[in-house]
Amino acid sequence: MNPEDLLRELGQLATSLGPAVRPAGTDELLRSLTETARQLFGAAACSLALLSPDESELVYTVAAGQGAADVTGMRIPAAQGIAGWVVQSGQPIAITDVGSDPRFSRHAAEQTGYVPRAILAVPVETRARMLGVISLLDRDPQRPGAERDMTLLSLFADQAALALTSVEAFSDLGQVLFRAAAEAAGDGDLAAALTRVASTLPSANTSPDLAELAAAFATLARRGPAERRLALAVLRDVADYAKERPSRRH
Amino acid sequence: MPRLGLPIDKDWAWGDASGTGITVAVVDSGIDAAHPEVGAVDRAVALQWDADTQEATLSEGPHDDLYGHGTACAGIIRRAAPDATLWSVRVLGRKLSGKGVVFAAGLRWAIAQGARVVNLSLSTSREDYFGLFHEVADEAAFAGVVLVCAANNVPAPTYPAQFSSVISVAAHDGQDPFELDANPAPPVDFGAPGIDVRVPWLDGGTIVSTGNSFAAPHVAGLVARLLSKHPHLTPYEVKTVLRAVASNAR
Repeated sequence: MNPEDLLRELGQLATSLGPAVRPAGTDELLRSLTETARQLFGAAACSLALLSPDESELVYTVAAGQGAADVTGMRIPAAQGIAGWVVQSGQPIAITDVGSDPRFSRHAAEQTGYVPRAILAVPVETRARMLGVISLLDRDPQRPGAERDMTLLSLFADQAALALTSVEAFSDLGQVLFRAAAEAAGDGDLAAALTRVASTLPSANTSPDLAELAAAFATLARRGPAERRLALAVLRDVADYAKERPSRRH
Repeated sequence: MPRLGLPIDKDWAWGDASGTGITVAVVDSGIDAAHPEVGAVDRAVALQWDADTQEATLSEGPHDDLYGHGTACAGIIRRAAPDATLWSVRVLGRKLSGKGVVFAAGLRWAIAQGARVVNLSLSTSREDYFGLFHEVADEAAFAGVVLVCAANNVPAPTYPAQFSSVISVAAHDGQDPFELDANPAPPVDFGAPGIDVRVPWLDGGTIVSTGNSFAAPHVAGLVARLLSKHPHLTPYEVKTVLRAVASNAR
């Protein structure tokens, strides 16, 4: 195997296994963040919607409060609704009465069993890219003007952006590692080779199965040695079972 | 804020002028020309990113407002400048890709076609847009075109509002479209109504909303009114006049 092929294999391995070594608790952190924001602002609900990889949709990833269970996982086009305008314009907005907005995603809101009257939404972004939007529904009306709360909610948005960025690094671990190594190598053949290979490495997003498996296994394994042994045993049993079955040809 | 001590008051600045002969381009999500508070939209261009050619495509002709925000801005501008000429430059509403290039193309079109004032809802924290937006902001200033931008809610820089060559506006809780405050601490230049303001929205309706993105068109309207009385003012002279008539600096 020539050296660049070896590098590529290593890079792909790192990318596939990245999710297994990413810091635990990002999902919990984001859930805690939305619940904290919801309580702090006295809101009926708070949600975090993230742009899909091709930036055509917003995916409601984490939510707290009314309708949270139903909204989680919902996808809306990024070219629609108040959340869509916020990610496109990069500007926060608050609307006191969305009822008079006929195109407000009433349909989507009704699907969650909760139709809000007021919404306050701020973008979630870094200096590198726009990530999504945090929305508060029906903030406590006793609170002073939305203007101050926009600034406060933006602080939560910054925290969410930080958490998401560090997670992303682990989804593209191969690329991240190789680019870092290329920089460290300075000029020359090694740096050029590392950069070349880095740009060919897929993101874990494009090959999710092994990444999911690695992440699930890592979650179990973190609980302790007994859980790790159990997970291994189950996995081996499934593998043995799969060997016995006649395989399905596509 | 210290007084400027110039013999400039609102009577000198705009008196009964109404924006006649001044073109204001709303760079946003489109304008609903059928809205009773908007009146005529003289020209409309829609821009999109073409991933194949890596360029922005432009098509002229009446178009919808995809979110409502552009219509809100147009209606607010009319409050101070009922007779200004309005153009719609739609850069928001499709995918996010190529946003910087699309924005620059839209703004350059408005400048080349003779707009004097541009109201900009778009802002970005992305570092890789800094250079392009700075260049375009300079082009506008050198062409005598006044860019009015919504400021950021948090201390982080946002472009092009951050640049000294534009007028950046934040929301205050006043309701009078002819009152603005000068901000003593850069980068925000002025405060204008943008908290709990009733604004035009989709399908001929109105909503009550909050955001710096509603304060900016208040100032854009005042600039159009001012320029219709004093058409030879440069952008920095416009800023000086606004400063002189600000409520907190007299």
